Amino acid sequence: MNKIKSTCIYRYIRVILAMAMKDIKSSLTERAFLLTSIIIPINFLLLFLLFALTGGQAPTALVVEDKGPFAQQFISAMEHSNSFIIHQTTSSDAQKLLQLGQIVAIVTIPANFDMALKHGSQIELPVIINNLDVDFTNDIRRAVPLAITSFYANAFPNQVAVKAYEIDTYTHDTDYVHYLVVSLMVVSIMLGGLLQAGSNAAREYEKGTIKELLLSPANPLAIQIGKIVGSMILNSFSVALMIVVIVFLIGVWPQHWDELFVFTLLLMITFVTAGLIIGTLVRRRQAVVPLSIGLSIPIFFLSGAFGPAIWGDPVTATVTQFQPVYYGIAVFQHAFHGFTTTPTGLIVDGLILVVFAVVMVAASSIVIVNVRKRGVAAK
Amino acid sequence: MSKKEKKVFSDGSEIIENNRSLDDQLSIDLQDVDIYDGPVAIRINKLIKRFGNFTAIDNLSLIVKYGEIFGLLGPNGSGKTTTINIISGLSKPTSGQVIVLGNDITKDLHTVHASLGAVPQETALYEELSAWTNMSFHADLYGVVGSDRGKRITEMLNLVQLYERKDNPVSTFSGGMKRRLALARALLHDPQLLYLDEPTLGVDVQSRRAIWDYIINLKEKKGKTVLLTTNYLEEANALCDRIAIIDHGKLVVLPNTPAELKQRYGDIIMDIETTSSITSQLVMHIQNISGINSVTQTNNILKITMSGNDLSSTGNIISLINKESNIKRISQREPNLEEIFLSLTGTGLRD
Ligand SMILES: Nc1ncnc2c1ncn2[C@@H]1O[C@H](COP(=O)(O)OP(=O)(O)O)[C@@H](O)[C@H]1O
Ligand SMILES: [Mg+2]
Repeated sequence: MNKIKSTCIYRYIRVILAMAMKDIKSSLTERAFLLTSIIIPINFLLLFLLFALTGGQAPTALVVEDKGPFAQQFISAMEHSNSFIIHQTTSSDAQKLLQLGQIVAIVTIPANFDMALKHGSQIELPVIINNLDVDFTNDIRRAVPLAITSFYANAFPNQVAVKAYEIDTYTHDTDYVHYLVVSLMVVSIMLGGLLQAGSNAAREYEKGTIKELLLSPANPLAIQIGKIVGSMILNSFSVALMIVVIVFLIGVWPQHWDELFVFTLLLMITFVTAGLIIGTLVRRRQAVVPLSIGLSIPIFFLSGAFGPAIWGDPVTATVTQFQPVYYGIAVFQHAFHGFTTTPTGLIVDGLILVVFAVVMVAASSIVIVNVRKRGVAAK
Repeated sequence: MSKKEKKVFSDGSEIIENNRSLDDQLSIDLQDVDIYDGPVAIRINKLIKRFGNFTAIDNLSLIVKYGEIFGLLGPNGSGKTTTINIISGLSKPTSGQVIVLGNDITKDLHTVHASLGAVPQETALYEELSAWTNMSFHADLYGVVGSDRGKRITEMLNLVQLYERKDNPVSTFSGGMKRRLALARALLHDPQLLYLDEPTLGVDVQSRRAIWDYIINLKEKKGKTVLLTTNYLEEANALCDRIAIIDHGKLVVLPNTPAELKQRYGDIIMDIETTSSITSQLVMHIQNISGINSVTQTNNILKITMSGNDLSSTGNIISLINKESNIKRISQREPNLEEIFLSLTGTGLRD
């Protein structure tokens, strides 16, 4: 009895390994697809970064009505954010500059800034935006909250700050780029996972080899797990390359490697299984690529990529909580910078990510069982 | 019941034949399915498959006996692959019942798969991988493990003479080599039953011969049951113990053997090209010579179908024709599926 059971498990594991190895071998022979699934995510990361660095320097007038130490720190946070070219002026000069189109926004630090902070009350930061230039307008909308983030990080290292923003310990300055890079990494893991696993699933249908799998007496769940494992191993090349770029090229050093490792794994499981589902449903690799990119970009903008999502408009802030990238960015910000950018906190966010991973694995099994029930030949 | 009748087709050709009506044949053959009570490998009962409004399989019933090679013969789009897909569990029947090796395929598919070897029409090989990798992946999926795994793969590759090419990617193989490899793979786990969907499609003549030999060996030396589909009467003739012809997903005729099918229609066809057409009286006259099944004339070409190997009447026919016209060319050949169809159903094949 025991022997039968152990040979059963042995066979199960053999199927998983064989399936994973097969997918890896198949992918490695297809240079074009290997290239897209490794290069596209990195490209995505670098492209957005470049865009942020070059396009993000918005000429902004700063009107400082408070000369206290906190106000000074806030100005320095804005100057370090890589997002503004700051002109300190008076309120009336700023208005003239705005009308002449020489600046795109006026940020005013009110006279009660230091007082309010000391008393822990909420501060209104008036921001006037010249909305003729949409590009810059968006930059300002994103950059101001980030400057605030950075400011709090320096000003109140040990305090719980206003709104959703909580601060643990800080050993590094965080500016726009450092925050954005981490968000980009999460979305790139998503994109890479979808592309890699989606291709691995769609390839079987496209080439008709799905029959070899469906005709076999091997356990369908073992086949599916094998596909997940194979795609994860392939995906990890792209993720490893991404970490190398972020750490050594951009110079963002993670504070918590252990968190980074665990959360990367969780996100990979979630997105690789999502990719398998997409690939199984669309059955064409040409459809997998645009679908993966088309899914990643809006989710990227929805998820607080440029600053904590919770500070965005209330609709976005609510909607975004139903998808994993939001939590992914939150836990990655913690792993890299020690930030907590959600009201729920690291543990809850991590657990929610576990739930997402489990749900995706379950959903992919349902899809596979359904494919078997309906048959491959009948659409 | 047997009578000679004349059919005239819309293209002007006519056919006179010696036949039972189609309904008679079908009722007898279907009865045959019901009364046979020997060991059955596959039993298909009133199978229907619809894709939307389109009926691909239309009330198909047949049995495949243990240890025989059964051929499903039909033109492109007649429903052969759909039938194979359903009985291998890749596609669900709209209605009807399929029992394979004693298991209802809607319930015990797993058991069926373990003792089934299949070569799909499109081979389903991983072309980017080597022959050996394809075999070893299959071995893992089917639980062919242990010490003799490598030996078994080597043996199968040797059987189809591909061992020397074991490390080459399948994409570098010819159509015939791919079919042979797919066959070797299907045999790897030593299945009782084999499905071969168009086993020689896109295969050159030499390879075809080799594949036929493997298939015949499977039955004769290993006692396997084989269900194959084919477009070629010649192939059915060379391999099959029994055949079923389908078109539009319907059973057209189920003679017991390919030999019987040919006998019904004729073994040999003589094509005689004349300088001018001959009168219908003369056509009738030739038709009445003993050993002649049917005579048709289209555009100065007479097609004469004969039974048996007795060609003694040939001289007689030639002198009869020479009375009305001159002969330009004479050729002799076996009938093809198209002609048998025309004779059995009165309609041509779709392409
Ligand atoms: N998945 C499908 N959806 C719709 N029609 C189909 C599908 N599969 C097959 N058919 C149709 O069913 C008929 C039989 O096809 P098939 O079984 O492949 O024929 P064969 O193998 O004899 O050439 C064809 O008309 C084909 O177009
Ligand atoms: Mg077919």
